[in-house]
Parts: sequence; C-alpha cells; structure tokens
Amino acid sequence: MDKLFDRRIVFVGGKGGVGKTTTAGALALMAAESGRRTLIVSTDPAHSLGDVFDTRIGNEKTSLGPNLAGLEIDPEAEAEQHIATVKMSMKSLVAPKMYREVDRQLDLAHHAPGTMEAALLERMADLMAEARERFDLLIFDTAPAGHTIRLLSLPEVLGAWSDGMLGHRDRSRKLGNLLKVFGRDHAREDSFGMIGGSKEEPDDSRDGRIQSILLNRRRKFHRARELLTDPTITAFLLVINAERLPILESKKTLDLLKKFNIPVTGMIVNRLLPSDVDGEFLRERRLQEDQYRAEIEQTFARLQKVYLHLLPHDVHGVETLREIGLHIVGQLGDSSGDASRPIEA
Amino acid sequence: MSWAGIKKKLRWLAYLATEAYNAPYRGAVARAKREQDDLFMLLIFSEMMGVPNPATYYTLELQPIMLEKFHEWHKRAGIEHSPLDDFRCC
Repeated sequence: MDKLFDRRIVFVGGKGGVGKTTTAGALALMAAESGRRTLIVSTDPAHSLGDVFDTRIGNEKTSLGPNLAGLEIDPEAEAEQHIATVKMSMKSLVAPKMYREVDRQLDLAHHAPGTMEAALLERMADLMAEARERFDLLIFDTAPAGHTIRLLSLPEVLGAWSDGMLGHRDRSRKLGNLLKVFGRDHAREDSFGMIGGSKEEPDDSRDGRIQSILLNRRRKFHRARELLTDPTITAFLLVINAERLPILESKKTLDLLKKFNIPVTGMIVNRLLPSDVDGEFLRERRLQEDQYRAEIEQTFARLQKVYLHLLPHDVHGVETLREIGLHIVGQLGDSSGDASRPIEA
Repeated sequence: MSWAGIKKKLRWLAYLATEAYNAPYRGAVARAKREQDDLFMLLIFSEMMGVPNPATYYTLELQPIMLEKFHEWHKRAGIEHSPLDDFRCC
C-alpha cells in the first residue's frame, strides 16, 4: 500500500458513516500536495464531499486547491441527458403526432430500476478513461458498500450482455448473407415490388448502426473492467471502525470484491479511541474496542492497515483533512515499523 | 427458333432450376434469420412487455433504430395494431 499514490485509480469504500469521505478527502489532499494532479469523485447519491471540504461541489469539476479538483456525480442529470438524446433520435423517426407517446414512454424509462446506477456507472467509466490525460490520480469516494459492489460488478454483467447482443446480430447477419447467396436480396425484392417499403432503411445500414452502438458499449465496459481488475492501476481501500457491524460488512465486501477480481489493497481503521481516555464509560468502550481490533487483525491479516484516532472535533476544511492525511501518509511510509501501533492524534 | 431465342429459353430454364433448388433453403434460412431478429427485438423491447431487463438503459438507445422493424414484427406476430399501450407505431 506504500505505493498507493502511484496507482491511477483509488476507491475508498466501506459501511455508511465509517468515515469514507473524510479518508478519501485526506488522501486526495495529500496526493495533490505531493504534486500529483488529483481528481476526487463522490459517487454517493447523498453527497457530502463538499461538506468535508467546506465548499460547494457540483456535477462539474470544481477546483479545491492547487492540483486538486472535486466532482459530485449527479446520476439524475446524467440519466436525463441520456434519455434526452434517445428522445431526439426517436423523434427524428416518428411522425410529430407520436411525440407525446415517445415522451411518455421514455419518461417511464427514466424511473425504471437500474437507470440511475447505469447512468452513474457510465459517468465513472468515462471519467476513468478521461482521467488518464488530465489527472495523475483519480479517487472515488464511493457510496456504502453494497451499492458499490453492484456498481463494480456491472461492467462484467453488461459486458456479457453486449457480447450476447452482438452474438445475436452476428448470427442474423450471417443468415442474411446466406440469404443473398440464395438470391433474394433487397434490390430484387424491390424490383418485383414484393416489399412495399422500398424507402425503408436497408437492413445492412441498420445492422451497421446497431453493431457500432453495441461495440462502443462493449469497448467501454471491457475497458472499465480491465482498469478495475489491474492491481497496478486500481487500489481499493476499505474504511472500517472497530465495531461489530462494520467488521461483518467489510468481510462480505471483501469476499465479493474477490469474486469480481477487484484487488483490495488496504484497510483504514478509523475512529479509534485514544489510549488515555478518562471516565469509566469510555474505558469500558476501549476494552470492547480492543477485542474488535484483535478481531480485525485476525480477519483481515493480509491487508495492510492504517489506524486513525477519533478526533475531538468534526472534520471540515482543508486544515483538518491535512492533519488526517499526514497521519495516513506517515503510517504508509513507515511500513517497516510496528504497523499496529496507532499514531496519536 | 433463332439462336438468341434458344439462349433466352435456356437462361430461363437455368433460372427455374436454380430457383427450384434454392427456394426451400431460402425459406428455411429466411425463417431462421427472422427468428433471430425477433429474439433481438424481444430483448430490446422486453421491458415494455413486462420482462425485466438488466440493461434497459442501454437497450433504450437501440429502440429508435428498431422502430421500423417493430411494426413489421407485430404484424408478423399476427397483431394488427401495436400490442403495447405505451408504444403505438400504427
């Protein structure tokens, strides 16, 4: 994990409320201050990236400082744009009296399950392809785990889907060619007047358009999948708290990520109580925390870990982020030392 | 009968023979292609027919292209007018 910033894409994931956005923000700040052009992208529909940086970030890349830009993906806006494009091309094909039908039909599609996710994934894939030229590092602050896993598995599922669709087209095209050998092509049909719609688009040109749309899709999905599964390009960081539920969920997440061949690089154990807490209540919590820490050590033995203490104040603004970032980077660089000893905040 | 006339007759006979041989195959191949295309159509418009589709977002952009074919398809299926409430092509 010590070469974390040499990767091109870093995902920060974990259960809701464990401190993903803060960690991602701190990492982004550190990367930017080390001279890497960094883009931090929030994919959580309930964005809080702007709040952490104490500024407003929208669906457009916003500068957050030298070398650092932020972006909060708005899947709603993405989907709307996609559907508007389809509407346009559909309307160019149907009679004007049909426009209302087209609008109605496509507005329904907007609310279909999966539309938002697909739009989100589309934007992420575009960013991953585009970031190569303009940024050295792309950090994704992801939504709570389950959602992200689904998202990361989509390129595989949809890749298979577009393969299947192309397969159908291919078989159909081959049969069409065979048909021509047997001497029944469009020119002939038209000269005999057997088919009324001679103004109709020839099948070949239609096939070509379908083919190119599907091929484009497939290329995009496969490319995204290639990037995601390459451990020299992508790193996945799990953020966790020393509590029961985050541990259980992280276990599941880890298994799923393994299933989809997405490399998990390290774990950030966040919000640990400082050792010198006072009061009976906090001492008891710390005892419990020690048990869970032991469990984390055992369960995730193969992951490098970074330990962060609970801060006495909320995180917002660049100053606090830098403070956290320095702790993370300090522990990353000091991998020869005792990694299990947290650096005091 | 002139030489040209004989040639013309022979060409006609050759055509008939070819057709007699080809026609059954042509029918079978055309049917196979149509079945393949119908399946594709079903996949593209599946959501409208109540079949859940994991890739609606992506089939959407293929719908405009398949619009003309959709009309042919429901005619062939023996349905006079478009079977979909939301999608009337005729």
